[in-house]
Amino acid sequence: MKQLFKIELVKIWNYASFRVILILHFLLFLLVLFVSSQIDISVPGVTVKNFFQFPHVWESFAWIASWFNLLLAVTLILLVGNEFSFKTFRQQVITGLSRNDLIIGKSFIVLLVALYGVLLVLLTSTISGLIFTRGLSLAVVFEKSYLLVVYFIQAVGYMTLGFLIAVIFRNTALSVVMYLLYFILIEPIIRLLFPREARLYFPVKIISNLTPRPEFLTIASDEPMLDAVGQSNLDLHAIGIATDPLPFYLTLLLALGYIAIFSSLIFIILRKRDI
Amino acid sequence: MTILEIQNISKHYGKIQAVKGLSLTVQKGMVFGILGPNGSGKTTTLSVITGILKPQTGSYRWFEQEPSKWLNRKVGSLIEIPYFYPYLSLYHNLKIHCLIKNVPEKDIERVLEITGLTTRKGSRFDTLSLGMKQRLALASVLLGDPEVLVLDEPANGLDPEGIAEVRNIIKLEAEKGKTIILASHILDEVEKVCSHVGVLKWGQLIASGKVNELLVEDDTIIISCERMSELHEVLVRAGFVKTSHFNEQEITLTLADEKTSADLNAFAFKNGFTLSQIEVRKKSLESQFLELVR
Repeated sequence: MKQLFKIELVKIWNYASFRVILILHFLLFLLVLFVSSQIDISVPGVTVKNFFQFPHVWESFAWIASWFNLLLAVTLILLVGNEFSFKTFRQQVITGLSRNDLIIGKSFIVLLVALYGVLLVLLTSTISGLIFTRGLSLAVVFEKSYLLVVYFIQAVGYMTLGFLIAVIFRNTALSVVMYLLYFILIEPIIRLLFPREARLYFPVKIISNLTPRPEFLTIASDEPMLDAVGQSNLDLHAIGIATDPLPFYLTLLLALGYIAIFSSLIFIILRKRDI
Repeated sequence: MTILEIQNISKHYGKIQAVKGLSLTVQKGMVFGILGPNGSGKTTTLSVITGILKPQTGSYRWFEQEPSKWLNRKVGSLIEIPYFYPYLSLYHNLKIHCLIKNVPEKDIERVLEITGLTTRKGSRFDTLSLGMKQRLALASVLLGDPEVLVLDEPANGLDPEGIAEVRNIIKLEAEKGKTIILASHILDEVEKVCSHVGVLKWGQLIASGKVNELLVEDDTIIISCERMSELHEVLVRAGFVKTSHFNEQEITLTLADEKTSADLNAFAFKNGFTLSQIEVRKKSLESQFLELVR
């Protein structure tokens, strides 16, 4: 196992494109955080800075980081697509690895990149929380920190789906296009064919809902404003636009289930087809 | 010791029968050449014995055992075009092979030196010439100092200098006692490097044996003396001649079975013919090969 991890590290550490994408990811994320921090809403009782304070910072930064999961998935697609384009998967089997080893090696990279994402959110959230939070206490700091794990699972989900698509199509450009199409178009259209309640169970929906959009008005509103206004959000359920979201534990379970399904399909496809 | 034993292997791709009922044995220390025209099953055979392809029927054994994961440590194989990461240096590409084969990283310097690539170890793979890429492929096969080398067209696409380099590397490894199984179209190279040869045609083994045994058959003898036509007639009547033609300068003939050039010389002298020239020309592997596969 350690050997497989070392093999993958040699590949990515010396691959300029991989480093460029991760640096781009890092900079974009910081840029968005910076821009967000500069937003100033001149409404009495509304404070945008609340998003940068504990405990809400975990939620908001994880949500912002989720925007860039597609980029992480594309990175994975690039790495797997290269193995098919350069026929290096084949060469490694000739040299002595099994097909399972190929998948396990790439899975290490999925976990490593997801861990990088989590560390990025952890670092920025911690710094932001420490700067902007008044009245620090352990309870306040750690209240929503579980979202780091949730974000990790989400990043793994996005990348595992990318891995699967790369294994199916075996061509980097085509895989990226198909991934984006599936994400933006194919699954949303398929969901429309199903009853409203069933739409919540689709894989992209489940995985992206792991870090849902924070309730902006609730978080940004100071207490007097909340007391005065009451429920901050428009009741979309009442007017029939939104359905009740799935319970969080169910969303998490289903996300893990989908990750397991994608991983199993990857194993099956790579075992059955020539490389 | 029998290094490789193949028994009745058959492999087809749909309707195409690539290998049919192939059986052969390779002993320790042999440099075994597998020859055949395009599509004769050479690469398929090597792919089967290295575990890349599964045969429909038949079996093979390495080192008198069923093959398993340990095979990769003892057998270094180069099948078809080698694939490396174009964006990685020679060193890092070989490092990956070291990690896969569980070979110490310091072995990289050794194989780079054998293949003459030490000065280019930091260069990206995609900056190498074809000859260097082929040498890198050989370097990767030599990692871990395997007992057996399986090489599929190692000099493919190389210029004469590159072919000579590859031949020298193979010869050096053979001198160390390694068993080498080599598929090649370049008959001249097989002749120079191999101790044994097997000839494939349409997926079947049609001839095999020692290279010098294949060359012994039908040697051409060229003789000259003063009374050419008389000598020719005498030799034909005495049963020395299999095929022959002659002109004023010389008689060119192939000897009948069990006759040697020494017998011919002694016979001619005994019958009063003094040969001014007697030359034995070994039939080239190429002409043998072409006759076999035609």
